[in-house]
Amino acid sequence: MAFLETKNLSFTYPDEEKPAISDVSLSIAQGEFVVLCGPSGSGKSTLLRLLKKEIAPYGDKQGIIHYKGEKLETIDAHLLSKEIGMVFQDPENQLVMDRVLEELIFGLENIGMDSEQMRKRVAEMVHFFGIHHLLDHKVHLLSGGQKQIVNLAAVLLMEPSVLLLDEPTAQLDPVAAKDFLQMIKQMNQEFGITIMMVEHRLEDVFPLCDRVLFMENGTVLTDGKPREVIQQLWKKKMLAKTSYLPSPALLYLEHTKNGQNIPLTVKEGRRWVNTLAINPKAVARNNALVTENKSIFSLKNIDFHYDKKGGNIVNSLSLTVYEGEWLAIVGANGTGKSTLLKLMAGLATPQKGSIKWNGKKIKGPLPLDIVYLPQNPKLLFVHDTIRKELEEVKKRLSLSDGGEKLQLLLSIFQLETLLDRHPYDVSGGELQKIAIVSLLLSSPKILLLDEPTKGLDPEMKKELGQLLMKVKALGVTIVMVTHDMEFAALYTDRCAMMFQGEIASTARTNDFFKGNTFYTTVINRITRGSQVPEVVTAEEARQRWEIIGEDSEK
Amino acid sequence: MMKRGFRSLHPLVCLIYFIAAFTTLMLYQHPFFLVFTIILLLCFHWALDRWRLLRGWGKMFMILPILFFIITPLINHRGNHLLFYLFNNPITLEAIMQGWIHSLSLLAMLLLFMSFNLVITADKFLFLFSRGFPQWSLLIMLSMRFIPLLRRRLNEIITVQKSRGLSTHDGRFRQRIKNGLLLLQILLTWSLEEGIQTADSMAARGYGLQKRSRYIPYKMKLIDGISIIFLLILTILCLFGWWLGDGVLALTPILEPIFLYGREWTFFFLYIVLIGYPLIMEIREQLLWHSWKQKI
Repeated sequence: MAFLETKNLSFTYPDEEKPAISDVSLSIAQGEFVVLCGPSGSGKSTLLRLLKKEIAPYGDKQGIIHYKGEKLETIDAHLLSKEIGMVFQDPENQLVMDRVLEELIFGLENIGMDSEQMRKRVAEMVHFFGIHHLLDHKVHLLSGGQKQIVNLAAVLLMEPSVLLLDEPTAQLDPVAAKDFLQMIKQMNQEFGITIMMVEHRLEDVFPLCDRVLFMENGTVLTDGKPREVIQQLWKKKMLAKTSYLPSPALLYLEHTKNGQNIPLTVKEGRRWVNTLAINPKAVARNNALVTENKSIFSLKNIDFHYDKKGGNIVNSLSLTVYEGEWLAIVGANGTGKSTLLKLMAGLATPQKGSIKWNGKKIKGPLPLDIVYLPQNPKLLFVHDTIRKELEEVKKRLSLSDGGEKLQLLLSIFQLETLLDRHPYDVSGGELQKIAIVSLLLSSPKILLLDEPTKGLDPEMKKELGQLLMKVKALGVTIVMVTHDMEFAALYTDRCAMMFQGEIASTARTNDFFKGNTFYTTVINRITRGSQVPEVVTAEEARQRWEIIGEDSEK
Repeated sequence: MMKRGFRSLHPLVCLIYFIAAFTTLMLYQHPFFLVFTIILLLCFHWALDRWRLLRGWGKMFMILPILFFIITPLINHRGNHLLFYLFNNPITLEAIMQGWIHSLSLLAMLLLFMSFNLVITADKFLFLFSRGFPQWSLLIMLSMRFIPLLRRRLNEIITVQKSRGLSTHDGRFRQRIKNGLLLLQILLTWSLEEGIQTADSMAARGYGLQKRSRYIPYKMKLIDGISIIFLLILTILCLFGWWLGDGVLALTPILEPIFLYGREWTFFFLYIVLIGYPLIMEIREQLLWHSWKQKI
């Protein structure tokens, strides 16, 4: 008897013709750690929600779901809410209460537990998670990672035997995400909780899980152990799917003839790389330094703090942006990256320091040639259709060539079909694109982006990267704050590292990552200090490596 | 924050103290009583937060008692001891005494209310008043999170929309109103959207399946029980004293001497113990700490 089982499960949302899920039959054993991946809109979240009866979407459902051999509909609701727990994507929106302790016991109060027992459970859980110092804190003062840990703890307090997670780390920075995923792994290994998780951080999650389900168009495309799934995806030569392969695996499959021991971790990757004999290809490096371009925007000795008593968030910071470049600003949480971007956008005024635009000092409001995309692009939208929104922007800017320009941008970004939708009804990636289009209408010189890849699936990320390259080709300078090393390594020209409110170092992207130990890509960590030429991305390896032999004995 | 002394007692004890203190304070309109009340409350405030709260409000709550002190003699002309005329208004000793009592009593009330705020924090307040109304208390808890959340969101919206030229600060009045409404509209749509997720998260944790229980973070201890009995006895005795006519300065028909006499001293002592109860708890805490330190 399978623990959790779906038989010919299909689901169609009301007013939709295509089913979100069609004919999915799965059987999940107790204690399995299953990861669901695949492009957005492939039905991963829908599948997860169907398994959680309380929040199952409305629509036409066919097929059966069995939990412990019983039909999901016939199981006591009270029991079910305890047995199957769920953690969602957004750390903030899942929180209900004002303080951490109240949040933790919310579920226990719902099932009518008495005080003594609650106290005991909370005591245990708090100890396990090491969050005792947070108990009296207000939830909004916690970091994203802490919030998500609290959400996880609140669900685990109900002692579920199945834990469903819907992209739990999409909104977290890489360090917090790793901590969170380790916690999940621990829950799985030490308590035998069955895990089903939708996740896009493939490098982190593939080594942890027992089984991967790759979904597309509402069906399960491949299902198996992580290595098997990688092999199947690779064998089917679905090039579009290569963005779903963890980068060590991708590097391996592109450069080997064996294809047996696919490396999933950096450690395995390094072992494999050391068996290679490689003839480095001379690649004509693009030697035109961006720093030889004209400086378009420069900040000098900027100081900024939000309130009188608080310390400086930005601390005597100097940064120069060169015309036509794509600059990435990286750094840990709370180092002032987002604040820096707001200062550059003129949304906050520095207390000290000078700002130069095109070589001239400016005081007062910054020129309109700088546009800013906030972390949450929803905030930009005022009207109820995208068409209206864009028309309104056109009107406000009183552009003479607005119509043609809009057409051009819409065709580059392939958004024509979405125009009559509500801005909140499109996917995160599409919303991101629409927001960028609306910003580009004013023909800005500089585009400021605050974590544009947050929550996007790998394919969407790739698309966004390529689109932004096109935008750059139109002559727009891009400055981006990001946590996504792989993305920065692939597309940007220069990287700057922020630390304690100042820029600690800046360098050309390639040199930047080769010089870093921790803040670098997975592929760089595999090839650093090995016998093969050091590379940062799979793309660079494609250009620079020529395999002349592989010693499989080693 | 440290939760020792009076604040570590069960919220019910604290509530009983404040009810008793407010009642007796309102009844005992005697300058001698009031001066000592104020001294005790100031000491209590010192023990609570080193006067941090008082310093913040300082001037604000000195103004009202002083106004009372000045205005009462100007509008009240009753009394036998005529002191002088001010713009043809007779100023009497009784009226000055009356103003003096009013302003002292007001000051004492304000101090007591401030300490109430420090001791009965929001969560204790909810705990005390939510027993009868579990649904309402949940609603209050939810709004405690959502109102500041909405404010933070609105700020974020204002900042972002400022970058697009939509501002409530410049432009014509009508335009500004229109922009303001647009900003509120974003806030609403956005918050409703996010609210769905919160609702999902509530449902996923079994909300609405049955009657909720309530976590009780406070346990009744022996000292709480003793405190309640002690406070109740003191209150009853003080009420008895007031009924006897002690502890109130009679202004008419004859002005009583301010200094206490005879039986009044007994009730004064009882009253001071009642008002000073929290201070006694704070001192007890200190003494316990010192004796413990000496032992090791």
